[in-house]
Amino acid sequence: MASHFRCENVMVRFGGVVACNDVSLDVEEGKIVGVIGPNGAGKTTLFNVLSRFQDFSEGKLFYREQRIDRFRPHQMVRLGLARTFQNINLFVEQSVLSNILIGSHCLIGNPLASLFWLPGARRTEQELTERAIETAALLHLERDLDTVVKHLPYGHQKRVELARALASRPKIILLDEPVAGCNDEESAELEKIVRRINRELGITVVLVEHDMSMVMSVCDYIYVLNFGANLARGTPAEIQSNPDVINAYLGKEE
Amino acid sequence: MNEMGAAGRRFARGNALEAANLAPEAAAHAQRQRLALADAKARFQKQNWVGTVALFAVAALFPVLPGVEGWMAYTVALVIIYVIATQGVAVLTGYTGLVTVGHGGFLAIGAYTSALLTKHYHTELITGLIAGGLMSAFIGCLLGLIFLRLSGAFMAIGTLGFAFFVGTIVNNVNLFEGREGISLPKNRILIWEIGDVGFYYVALAVFALTTLLVYCLVRSGVGRALMALRDAEKAAESCGINRVFYRTLAFSLSAFITGLAGVLNGHIVRFIASEVYADIWYSVDFLVAAIVGGSSFLMGPLLGGIFVALLPFFLEELRELAFILKGVALILVLMFAPAGLAEVFGRPWRAWRRNKLERVRNDGARVSRASLDKLTKLEAR
Repeated sequence: MASHFRCENVMVRFGGVVACNDVSLDVEEGKIVGVIGPNGAGKTTLFNVLSRFQDFSEGKLFYREQRIDRFRPHQMVRLGLARTFQNINLFVEQSVLSNILIGSHCLIGNPLASLFWLPGARRTEQELTERAIETAALLHLERDLDTVVKHLPYGHQKRVELARALASRPKIILLDEPVAGCNDEESAELEKIVRRINRELGITVVLVEHDMSMVMSVCDYIYVLNFGANLARGTPAEIQSNPDVINAYLGKEE
Repeated sequence: MNEMGAAGRRFARGNALEAANLAPEAAAHAQRQRLALADAKARFQKQNWVGTVALFAVAALFPVLPGVEGWMAYTVALVIIYVIATQGVAVLTGYTGLVTVGHGGFLAIGAYTSALLTKHYHTELITGLIAGGLMSAFIGCLLGLIFLRLSGAFMAIGTLGFAFFVGTIVNNVNLFEGREGISLPKNRILIWEIGDVGFYYVALAVFALTTLLVYCLVRSGVGRALMALRDAEKAAESCGINRVFYRTLAFSLSAFITGLAGVLNGHIVRFIASEVYADIWYSVDFLVAAIVGGSSFLMGPLLGGIFVALLPFFLEELRELAFILKGVALILVLMFAPAGLAEVFGRPWRAWRRNKLERVRNDGARVSRASLDKLTKLEAR
């Protein structure tokens, strides 16, 4: 299948440290792609490159063969890429509904029409609210719509963040450690949700995750990074039996 | 098929997401509950409108009440001007989270723009208002771009610098006639001359417009974007919010509103001198008013503006005391009600509404006739 979203030979340096060294990644349409690697392998940096929060010195970034190296983060959303954050990054003083509505910002149309409530703006607003409620229902948040986010438990907040990312109707969603800090029950729930996002909504998923059981069970294929460089690519079964990957995680047997 | 089944089918077509989650009965129940909640919220909104219109009606009747003299209308107009200027500060400080100690500068820009136009080109008040507001918005836009990377205390210092900058310009550039000042002729609206009472109505009308503007802003996607940038900048950008555009827009709108207040402020006294406008106390006053009143509430600037503007009148000879009292009020508010007086006074009101919503949510069956009709029509389709 055609490349949906890919980066080629990306290089990121922080002073003397090379966080990403010649990293390439190809995301196929409709797949769930995992990115794993030991601590400090450059996963989050790569992730920030993909969502354009991090600039890179060398390399190329493509969305459907369009170069997007110099896009700003807010432009990525319009292209159809949404992301979540490793440490939940929500508008904690606002309600769940407002959070989701903010997520649908790219759909409000002309901001000045929205500001002055020109004809059409009211209808758009109503539609966005209805969609927000639907999205909340998908993530089992319908009872919390009017709750201020900071009063919600952690697992709920994770889902609110996911709902906010989904509200922009993305083609690709980038999840940075979606189950970090969740208990088993919450992880299982989120795993199910990620599958549904992929199957029912047809959204391509890229996820960085430490929880191997989740990565191995949901991903179609996996990239392994080590010391800021590509180490391996393959299906979960291939990765689990790859000697390089085992060495990187467990160390070499002497 | 029974009625619930029909609703379930509708969901299967129109709302695949939810249908997958819920059984048809539950989906129909959820739909009813949603309508009931929307009804309740629409009622709240109607109450807000009625309340606001009533408030403006009372204000409009004020000058014709028996026993009210011209100077009272003049005084209340001054208070309204303070409130408008504070609304400008609230747009930036309250909703966008950028603390400004420089809005006296925009007041001056509005005032001088209109004063110079009136003096040299004999324009009337409406032209002055439009020109003053737009000029102020333009400078605000530039300032927003210059201060793009500032936030927190640095933004406060930057805007303070702007107030000093404007002050120095009006003090020293000949065009602005420094301390000599510019005297203005009697105010005119189109071709009619107006007195104190007429001016009161002009101020009230401007206040109604700015209130409407702020209300529309806060409820629109634009307002949401500003508040998102205020609460979590990175997250906001990840939601597709263009930081540069919205910050600049917030600066322009905020400057526009305070610029309008500036025009009114110049024309009500009919004398403009650098002594008044080079003073940074206006800037401080507006910020204090915004914070004491509650800068992220629609009622905030009203409460704060009234407090700050009326304090010296009540103290009469002890005017100097006003500075101390403002400081004390600021400290007390920051300690005990950091969201401002509007938040404190609004508490019982919001609690009542929250309870009401909770009751509606627990009793989803109670839906207004209009909404039920809508639901039945949808189901019949």
